[in-house]
Amino acid sequence: MSDHGTHSHGPVTRVGESADEALHHAIEESHGSHEEHAGHGGIGKYMLVFLALCGLTTMSFFTYSAAWPWRDQPQVGWAFMMAVSCTKAMLVILFFMHVWWEANWKYVLTIPAAMMAIFLAIMLIPDIGMRNRMVSQERALYMARGSDVQLLERASKESPLAEPAGH
Amino acid sequence: MNASASSISHGHAGDASHGDHGDHGHGHITLQYQPGLPLSRGKLIMWLFLSTEIMFFAALLGSYVVLRFGAPVWPKPHHVHLSEPIGAFNTFVLICSSVTIVLALEAARVNKAGLAKNWMLLTLLLGGLFLGIKGYEYSAKFSHGIYPSAPRSRIYERPDLYYGSAVRGRLEELRREPKDAWQAMKYKWAVAWHRSPQAASLHGWKEPETVDRLKELDEMPEAALTAEQLDSRRKLQQIQKMVSSPDQQAFDMAVVADQVMPLPSEGAAGAAGSGHGGGHGSHGLNDAFPWLRLPTVIPGGNMWASTYFLLTGFHAVHVAVGLLVFAIMLTWKLNAKRAGAIENAGLYWHFVDLVWIFLFPLLYLF
Repeated sequence: MSDHGTHSHGPVTRVGESADEALHHAIEESHGSHEEHAGHGGIGKYMLVFLALCGLTTMSFFTYSAAWPWRDQPQVGWAFMMAVSCTKAMLVILFFMHVWWEANWKYVLTIPAAMMAIFLAIMLIPDIGMRNRMVSQERALYMARGSDVQLLERASKESPLAEPAGH
Repeated sequence: MNASASSISHGHAGDASHGDHGDHGHGHITLQYQPGLPLSRGKLIMWLFLSTEIMFFAALLGSYVVLRFGAPVWPKPHHVHLSEPIGAFNTFVLICSSVTIVLALEAARVNKAGLAKNWMLLTLLLGGLFLGIKGYEYSAKFSHGIYPSAPRSRIYERPDLYYGSAVRGRLEELRREPKDAWQAMKYKWAVAWHRSPQAASLHGWKEPETVDRLKELDEMPEAALTAEQLDSRRKLQQIQKMVSSPDQQAFDMAVVADQVMPLPSEGAAGAAGSGHGGGHGSHGLNDAFPWLRLPTVIPGGNMWASTYFLLTGFHAVHVAVGLLVFAIMLTWKLNAKRAGAIENAGLYWHFVDLVWIFLFPLLYLF
């Protein structure tokens, strides 16, 4: 397979080669590149990625523990967890899904999909995300409010029903 | 072979214009194959499918994020009985299964069919464990009246008069007399069950009907109840009085809601891992007497339930499909010839893992 030249450029179509041969070469080449790289990637690398993923999961779980210093600023935790999640996603995509070792076709498929995904989410903001900025009075009446949570939490602290009946 | 057919005209044009393929230029057609992307068809189709899946889950996750941050109130994870440690453990399970499927592929590539089969079986088991834990979590939601939609969902957004009337309605429903002979018979068995569960189970009765339980609860001597149940019965009786009077203030309904299912405060949840725990005892009436099935107040809970069940439900369906594929593959001989198929199944499985990597922090930790 070494006579196929550089792998990153994909298969070279040779003039005069039959379609069957070319297809055969193309497939072999894309598979060949795996085998070659798996040789110096291998199980050790997968284990390393696995440990990294476990470590990162523990890190995002850390935001839930009492030791997390930014309890009063949830935005810090959100940003931290998203960074951790993106790192984990990249590790899975690059190593478990072998994208790190693939030829340039990977960009053709992933970049447009990723862009569509981002635009899709952004387009939801005006209609869905901002839907509660202007609501009818009737709707506001039935809608949950932040003050309700405080009301419920206060009730749980100073509930008259919590006292025994004898008092 | 479609490609070769379509390139015929090209070959002709090339020959006619400069004719430099001299040696077989005797009217022969030179076929040139131009592969679109340098990968096998199966893998190409899997990646195309995955790119549609990226957009599918991006729409779901995007809607969730946009809804969540656009909502006036969003329940905290412990308000809706989400257990972070269970979620983290499920993440770990799925990561492990991603490793095992990669190892199955590596084993198949070097033609170790037996080893590949073992790794794939382990992947199947881990996926099954994930679904099992998910099912357990779902049942914990259901037992607290958290369902995605109305007939079963007992979530109310605010502790207002509408909530009060819902509680009253439920209590009246519970108090209703047995209507016919069938109900009366059930009542009889309910009493029998309470005195001697063994005797009742002989006749096929597992648990008495709630109607009869409430009646029974009021008439039960104090000695028959535990301290917690006694306390809960007293609260229930007070709530019955409270919701029956027509001119209740909203604050009183907050007291009712708190007794039915307390909303743990931020400080209490901060004490790591306890999950529950309001100002008073951690249990509400619905915990002490689950058969009451009283309506509960979770501000923002309806939207939360809709998004939670939709996101985790679609993810679980993807997991189930993956498990089905693995189950089918386990009937094959997983040698080097099957490596391509295993790789494609693995790509799909890693994608499912990928979705969960984002779902876990978004649902459990935000």
